Amino acid sequence: MSRSTISARCSILCLLLALLAACGPNEVRVQGDFPPPLMDALPLRLGVWYPEEFRTHEIFDEAKSRSESDWLVNTGAAQVDMWDTLLQGMFINLVHLKQAPVAGKPIAGVDAVLIPHVDELQYAIPQQTHVKVYEIWMRYRFDLLDGQGASVAGWTMPAYGKTPTAFLRSDEEAVNLAAVMALRDAGANFVMTFPRIPEVGVLLGMPESRPEPGAAPPRPAAAGDPLLEELEPIDDGIIEDVENVPVETGGEVTP
Amino acid sequence: MKRLLLIAGAALLQACVSSTVDQMVYNAPVEGVGEGTVVILGRRQNSDYETEPDFVECIGDYIHGKDRSIRVIDELDFVNALYPWFEPRTAPLYPEDVERLLEHEVVAQRMRELKTEYMVWVDGSTETTDSAGSMTCGIGPGGAGCFGFGTWSDDSEYEAVIWDFTDRAEVGRVATSASGQSYMPAVVVPIPIIAPVQGTACDGLGEQLLQFFSAKY
Repeated sequence: MSRSTISARCSILCLLLALLAACGPNEVRVQGDFPPPLMDALPLRLGVWYPEEFRTHEIFDEAKSRSESDWLVNTGAAQVDMWDTLLQGMFINLVHLKQAPVAGKPIAGVDAVLIPHVDELQYAIPQQTHVKVYEIWMRYRFDLLDGQGASVAGWTMPAYGKTPTAFLRSDEEAVNLAAVMALRDAGANFVMTFPRIPEVGVLLGMPESRPEPGAAPPRPAAAGDPLLEELEPIDDGIIEDVENVPVETGGEVTP
Repeated sequence: MKRLLLIAGAALLQACVSSTVDQMVYNAPVEGVGEGTVVILGRRQNSDYETEPDFVECIGDYIHGKDRSIRVIDELDFVNALYPWFEPRTAPLYPEDVERLLEHEVVAQRMRELKTEYMVWVDGSTETTDSAGSMTCGIGPGGAGCFGFGTWSDDSEYEAVIWDFTDRAEVGRVATSASGQSYMPAVVVPIPIIAPVQGTACDGLGEQLLQFFSAKY
């Protein structure tokens, strides 16, 4: 077989592979750098459990017409990365649970256990909205257990991120950036709202939740932080204020 | 000679841009920022547009390019250093909000480390409007080529609000608007004749901001 024949066959093969690739969905595995929060640590030893569906969270959106494409957006790894960084800076001690907490079973070494869930994720790209921004919207649901494994509180929290169109930036890159912005917004929203949840305030005031020796000194009343009280979240009509969401309390949490 | 012709040709291929700049000064600056730093941030609270990070970076580059003594902190570095207090949800909207932010000792300490003297909030965007024309491109055994004509106009509207960190007060506002028509004729090869609308708006804002920050202006 001559060299020119091999070259021609390789070219055809590459072309076919390229055509096949064009048929696949737009896939985004969200990646980004998440800074630690700049704040005094709350006096709480927090355990965290990321459920399997949270750690591997992704959405698949099938194209509704021939002009659209399928989209696969995977946020799982980025979710864990962001929440680990945030919670480590936000609490005096963070413990990763090795197994799902069981209701009513005490968990050693922690004052509370947080279980985050992504209830919903939606995205919008300029082709759909005719607006020059890419958007990601998420709704989280949190379950908070105390050190005895009993449910303390449950609440939902929205997060929103957007990024403008840019020259030579692909749809995938823009969606990734919007997702990173949404994750950062989730962190900001959590920092602002977590101490305001009444049950959390009670938990922060518990004698058991005093910091461990050698840990950063907590403020006398973390829930009454003037910064957290006085900076109001921005109401842009899209981001739902968590204060308007009824806080669900009580009930059993099934891990 | 060839280089001169090339530059002249490139200059001729730029479409025209019309631009206006308005400035309001509440506290006239008396000297430059000195040892302090300037941070330029984009407002990201609006749902239907977003101040482009590239535009914010362009203003910073323009200011630093014109006066090397002015240190402009990168926007992302600043918001990362103060996360989560300068995210769209939590960013201060008024100078008084900064006062409250600085009550938090860790935030105040970080601000001191960054030596922030002035904070500039840029709000606005560049929109493409009125696009018209059509272009057809083809490829065949003999080669490829395009034929047609396209045109569009870009409009930029930006406002920069300047906060003085020492006095915790707004010291001035600069607004700029620029518009221009771009053309793309194509006879075999498309020839883009682009109006640098956003670049003109960036230069206009940067030039006015220099009067606040630079001792030379």
